[in-house]
Amino acid sequence: MSDARIEAYAHAIVEIAEAEGNLAVVENELFRVARAVESSDQLRATLTDETIPAVRRQAVVEALLGSASNTTTQLVGMVIGSGRGRDLPAIIDKVVKRAASSQGKEVAEVRSAVELTADQQARLAAALERATGKQVNLKVVVDPSILGGVVATVGDTVIDGSVRSRLDQVKSRL
Amino acid sequence: MRLLSLIAAEDPTQTHHWLLPETAEIIYGGLAFLIVATGLWKFALPEMKKALAARSAKIGDQLKNAADTRAAAEAEATSIRQAIGDISGERARLLAEADSQAAAILAEGRARVSAEIADLEAKADADIAASRSRSSDELRAEIAQLAAVAANSAVSASLTPGTQQDLIEGFINGVGAAR
Repeated sequence: MSDARIEAYAHAIVEIAEAEGNLAVVENELFRVARAVESSDQLRATLTDETIPAVRRQAVVEALLGSASNTTTQLVGMVIGSGRGRDLPAIIDKVVKRAASSQGKEVAEVRSAVELTADQQARLAAALERATGKQVNLKVVVDPSILGGVVATVGDTVIDGSVRSRLDQVKSRL
Repeated sequence: MRLLSLIAAEDPTQTHHWLLPETAEIIYGGLAFLIVATGLWKFALPEMKKALAARSAKIGDQLKNAADTRAAAEAEATSIRQAIGDISGERARLLAEADSQAAAILAEGRARVSAEIADLEAKADADIAASRSRSSDELRAEIAQLAAVAANSAVSASLTPGTQQDLIEGFINGVGAAR
């Protein structure tokens, strides 16, 4: 799908969420959905399989989102139902960026091998704001593949403090 | 007539000498001899001389022809001998040329084989060196892979919850101190 179409979907979702008055909740839930779709080949294959009826794919989304808000469930169902499941992560990333920029913030995607506590998230957001000079909207993704530590991405800046990268450096040095 | 009557009147049994014939007979005989000898001398002798001269000429011609034939045969023999000599020389020359060509071909073949052997040896050396280097690289990569796996296992085993929290705190502190 073209960038313009992705932008159009993202714009529509942000407008609907703002109209519903729960943009912050929706963009958080959407972010988790996007990461779930990215990390699961089976889920991605199911949502993008044109041979599976759209109604059934929407049912999968509803089952997946279980405790999510109705707005989130309906918005994801709308994207899947219109046959744009393949572009769902890209659309959601645009939604998150739009939501952050509407608040004058930059999205800070943080990957950690374990869950971060609320205190750690707050201190990390503050540290990233000091380091980048930007207000950040922290998005935490639990990613066991990095083994340990944290990888933070703010715009084009990547701060990699993961054990995985250290091991890769050792491996390349070897 | 008179002569005939004398011959008829003579008695053969009544001779005047036991050895010599009668005088008349000697005369007649002598005259007949002279006539015959004269005839022979005058008519037969020239023909005989002519025939003898012709025969002599014929024999001379034959001798000359034989001499010519002999000379031609000797010349031919000389030519053949010379030709044989030439053939021997040509044979010797051809043999020498063949020997020379064979020696040149042999030398060229030896040089080519030597060059090919040198090339093969160089290629084999290069292959051995490349193989050694490849083996070394593969061994190094294998060691690195094993070391990486070992390091991965060791690090993963040492990543306790406490360590994870230490890493997170260290990251937060490090990022916060970066500016």
